[in-house]
Amino acid sequence: MGGASRNERRRKQEEAERRLAAAGIRVPQKRDRTGAIVVGVVLAVAVAVGGAFLLARALGHEVEPTYTATADGAVVTAGSGPVVIDVYEDYLCPSCERFEARYGNELTTALNENKVTVRFHTVAILDRLSEPAGYSTRAANAALCAVPAGVFPQYHKKLFDEQPAEGSAGLSDDELIALGTELGAQGDFAACVQGGTHADAVAKETEAATGDTALQTNGRFGTPTVVVGGRKVDLNDTSWLQDAIGGQS
Amino acid sequence: MNRARLPDVIGALARFGLAAVFLVSGLLKAVDPDQTYVAVRAYDVLPDAGVEVVAALLPWVEIALGLLLLAGVGTRLVAVLSAALLLVFVAGVTQAWARGLSIDCGCFGGGGAVDPGETTYGQELLRDAGFLLMAGWLIARPRTVLALDDRLGTRRMG
Repeated sequence: MGGASRNERRRKQEEAERRLAAAGIRVPQKRDRTGAIVVGVVLAVAVAVGGAFLLARALGHEVEPTYTATADGAVVTAGSGPVVIDVYEDYLCPSCERFEARYGNELTTALNENKVTVRFHTVAILDRLSEPAGYSTRAANAALCAVPAGVFPQYHKKLFDEQPAEGSAGLSDDELIALGTELGAQGDFAACVQGGTHADAVAKETEAATGDTALQTNGRFGTPTVVVGGRKVDLNDTSWLQDAIGGQS
Repeated sequence: MNRARLPDVIGALARFGLAAVFLVSGLLKAVDPDQTYVAVRAYDVLPDAGVEVVAALLPWVEIALGLLLLAGVGTRLVAVLSAALLLVFVAGVTQAWARGLSIDCGCFGGGGAVDPGETTYGQELLRDAGFLLMAGWLIARPRTVLALDDRLGTRRMG
């Protein structure tokens, strides 16, 4: 049964059907659609499963931060709850953006309710991944400038919402300033951003973090890294925050 | 099925091989959705909302194709869809390579930016070419042994 003869046969049949149709005679559909239907149903189920996850995430509402923050060097201490959580983040790191997207609201709620204290360690390990290099440090500096400006909680979130792609130039100083101004930054925020006031503190914190073996997995430090009670947290365990709060109250 | 011919066996190997590829790659992506998002975003093609949608759906579509290939239902149609998806992957990797991005394809989990010296675009494309060959065989010749199509008569659908 060569392909040519099969095609020939099909063509003849279709030709015949067309003539019958032209004459107003309807031929019952012979082609069996079972396969296409099964394929369609299975794919529809797959899309529905993925879509359900998508919807669950999209329906989560934004939590407005009401906590306050203070800075010491490149470490921003937020809230004053009993459970102390150390978070190491680089503002250019895509996984940190995911961490904020997944756990940001939950963390903000815990901070608002004064259940936790979060020490945000502002590190810059991805400076080489912007073009020109150095966006991680510039963004880290701007985040630290936002603390005395009184807008750190909102600015921190904003920097991840507006996170530039790796390999791009990143947000310019003017853009970093504009984001803060929109949020109502007080004092000499602009001068602080332009002057790189906290760049040295960021470099020092980065060195300390990358050299701390307790923060490493397989001998490497990466961001985000979250530490509760001296133990590095597995962020794939979605209940890590609830466990941390429950374990110490 | 009792007098299996060699091409039917080869076809079955292509079908099971491709099924394994999609099931493994789909499952690895499904268990780590954040990493999958990072991997899709690193291609720097879609806006964030598009990345969100693709990262959410891709793992499950891969798993679905894997299951359909494993069962051998509508083999030709599924092979066509598989080839189309593989061509999208090839296009994604090719544009990343051409634009000088430094990313891991995230084909089997992982993904995201890597250091400029650590890209493996050549191997990634070669691997995809191999998978395309398997899909191509099944498009040209969807008859395989151990397929549900034999019971349903659905081999040439699509």
